[in-house]
Amino acid sequence: MSGMAEIAPAAPETPLQRFVRDFTSNRLAVGALVVVLLIALAAIFAPWITPQNPYDLAQLDIMDGRLPPGASSAAGMTYWLGTDDQGRDMLSGIIYGLRISLIVGIGSALIAGVVGSTLGLVAAYAGGRVETAIMRLVDLQLSFPAILVALMILAFLGKGIGNVMIALVLVEWARYARTARGAALVERRREYIEAAECLALPRWRVLFRHLLPNCLPPLIVIGTIQIARAITLEATLSFLGLGVPITEPSLGLLIANGYQYMLSGQYWISFYPGLALLLTIMAINLVGDQLRDVLNPRQQR
Amino acid sequence: MFPTCRMVILGAALAALTLPPAARAQTLRVGASAPVTSIDPHYHTYSPNVSLDAHIYEPLVDMDAASRPIPRLALSWKLVDNTVWEFHLRPGVKFHNGEDFTAADVAYTIDRIPRVKNSPGSYAIYTKAISSVEVVDPHTIRLHTKQVYPLLPIDLTQVYIIPHTLGADPATEDFNSGKDAIGTGPFRFVSYKSGDRIEMDRNDNYWGPKPDWQHVSYRMIPNDAARTAALLSGDVDFIEAVPTTDVARLSHDKKLHLAETVSLRIIFLWLDHRGMTPHVTGPNGEKLDHNPLTDLRVRQALSMAINRNAIVDRIMQGAAIPSGQFLPKGSFSYVPGLNPPAYDPAKARQLLAAAGYPKGFRIELDGPNDRYVNDGKIIQAVGQMWSRIGVQTAVNAITWPSFIGQANKGAFSAFLLGWGTSSGEASNPLRSLIATRTPAKGWGAVNRGFYSNPKVDELLTTALATADDAAREKLLQQATTLAMDDVAFIPLHNQKNIWAMRAGLTYAARADETSRAQEVHPAK
Repeated sequence: MSGMAEIAPAAPETPLQRFVRDFTSNRLAVGALVVVLLIALAAIFAPWITPQNPYDLAQLDIMDGRLPPGASSAAGMTYWLGTDDQGRDMLSGIIYGLRISLIVGIGSALIAGVVGSTLGLVAAYAGGRVETAIMRLVDLQLSFPAILVALMILAFLGKGIGNVMIALVLVEWARYARTARGAALVERRREYIEAAECLALPRWRVLFRHLLPNCLPPLIVIGTIQIARAITLEATLSFLGLGVPITEPSLGLLIANGYQYMLSGQYWISFYPGLALLLTIMAINLVGDQLRDVLNPRQQR
Repeated sequence: MFPTCRMVILGAALAALTLPPAARAQTLRVGASAPVTSIDPHYHTYSPNVSLDAHIYEPLVDMDAASRPIPRLALSWKLVDNTVWEFHLRPGVKFHNGEDFTAADVAYTIDRIPRVKNSPGSYAIYTKAISSVEVVDPHTIRLHTKQVYPLLPIDLTQVYIIPHTLGADPATEDFNSGKDAIGTGPFRFVSYKSGDRIEMDRNDNYWGPKPDWQHVSYRMIPNDAARTAALLSGDVDFIEAVPTTDVARLSHDKKLHLAETVSLRIIFLWLDHRGMTPHVTGPNGEKLDHNPLTDLRVRQALSMAINRNAIVDRIMQGAAIPSGQFLPKGSFSYVPGLNPPAYDPAKARQLLAAAGYPKGFRIELDGPNDRYVNDGKIIQAVGQMWSRIGVQTAVNAITWPSFIGQANKGAFSAFLLGWGTSSGEASNPLRSLIATRTPAKGWGAVNRGFYSNPKVDELLTTALATADDAAREKLLQQATTLAMDDVAFIPLHNQKNIWAMRAGLTYAARADETSRAQEVHPAK
């Protein structure tokens, strides 16, 4: 945090108020959060705000294919960001694509978070052989590049959004496990855990009611960053043709479709989805960075 | 020391720059679109191999640019008896190792072909009609067949002759290393780097017109964008299979020249003709107790609903022509006037209603996404058009190896495929695609739609036993018309083959897709 000299407020701050104050101290992060919220709203309300359902083949017309931004269709609709080679409105395509990106990103990050954190906590709390087994598995997983593992899994499972999420969960859980174990190892030596254990509380209760809440801050930070990572990975997989079906393009596939037209100057088919992807990932990463600063106990005064 | 060294390098560089343009122009660098799998001309029936082999080796009978048979190592051929073909061989032809070409080499080649080890696609399909070989004299050979077999000269266009002095069963590896890569062709083999390039030098003792190039560097660049970029940057002089997305741009570039012709490859949709089909359901997803695709009116409606001109114009960017039969105009057994049905969605809906599907049905349309030009985009466009007549279409494009595996198992209801008619006449697609599946005869080997029409089979049987060209052409035309009127499959378009080269070169575009350096000439 910047070196602001602050006077202690009159009323004692609740932790939430303090969190909000710390977070809003960085204007860039607030801007990024607004962008993330706008993207989320657009994605949620996509069917109501897009001029076209880009996944309904009956609404597309190849006669409108590769129109430049601002062109109009025969039916009088304006394509603000142009169309791709199937006559798909790029604006609608991008908003629906963001929808897939967010579902895949948040969904896989959440599931991987639950699985990974649980395994990490169990490893730290149980110790011994359980810990060795879990953590060596984590090491093994992290020693392979994520994209390679995801490619292998998809080659085995086949295409589809569900399978992409399975692949991403299998790739990402290890990072949560490692972070959770690190945090838990520090916390479990604290007195309150000892106290809880003295009360002869069941182990699961110590684990999830006492240990977990105190390990949450680093996990939240990892979570935001993993969302951005998962979105990038999904886009990469779709770009390589292993992700979503061709009639339901996500951002990665939209970029791949337009990539072939770069030499012939029809830039918009790749450019705008690329821009949307860049904005989304940048905004999520900025929010994640600020969360890390705010939630890091060492940087709190 | 150093200054001297530098001077030498500078001098060499200057000398290279001031080399007469003629000397530099002696090399032709070709950008091919797929890697060859061997230099052995009898190893794998695969078009990239055939394209390369035509530089080093020669067949008895060759194809001209429009895929009509022309003499190559044979001067002439005729039927001396219903089951005996006689070939008169060209005298004075020498192999790259200096030996004379004679009938013994032809007999040796025909004998070797079925015994090539580990062949992923055997050339024996082109020689299996031959029951015995009779060497009459060094320049006359008679090939006996079990039955009347009018297609023998056409089959032999795929059979490249190698010298009999290579000994018993030369190994494919010895061709790849260059030891046995000996033919009579206009270029001689120099070196081969697997997956990268083949270097060849001009055969100065060639019997025919000498190529314009002292040296050919035949590079394999499978990535479309990289191949185009290599031409634009001047790394290669001549590329094949120009991606349709780049055609518009390249044709406006004054430093380049394009050559194109209509290909013998047709792109079409198979429809499942079996009684039950896996991927068709009712309009609300309910199971059907029959296959709607067995109704001719449904097949006609699906064909009529397709706007072929829009696909050619928007997806293929003009690099195709709409098609209503196997072969393009000008080919042997092309049926004049047999055009694709006119685009008429209203009439298609009426036909569906008349067939008992006023609300349409649901269908899955499958296809590869990495095999044919724009394959994935074409099925999406067809999906749009079928959806408009009430046939709710789910489009599924997958990678070729898993696609063709499933197609062979009959796992699809409607799917896109292509067929390159190497023989240039209709008996080839009729026999392989349309004839009733009869493994014993080798008929219907790739009839993946399970089509069966006894009348077509009967006409084909008669045609294959008819030696007279005009009579056979007529029979093949009748069989083609029958199959197309019955919508055995839905023809979409014939691709165009497009080559691009630096300005100052010309190429007579070949219908068979092959790229031949000896047919690239400096413009006069």
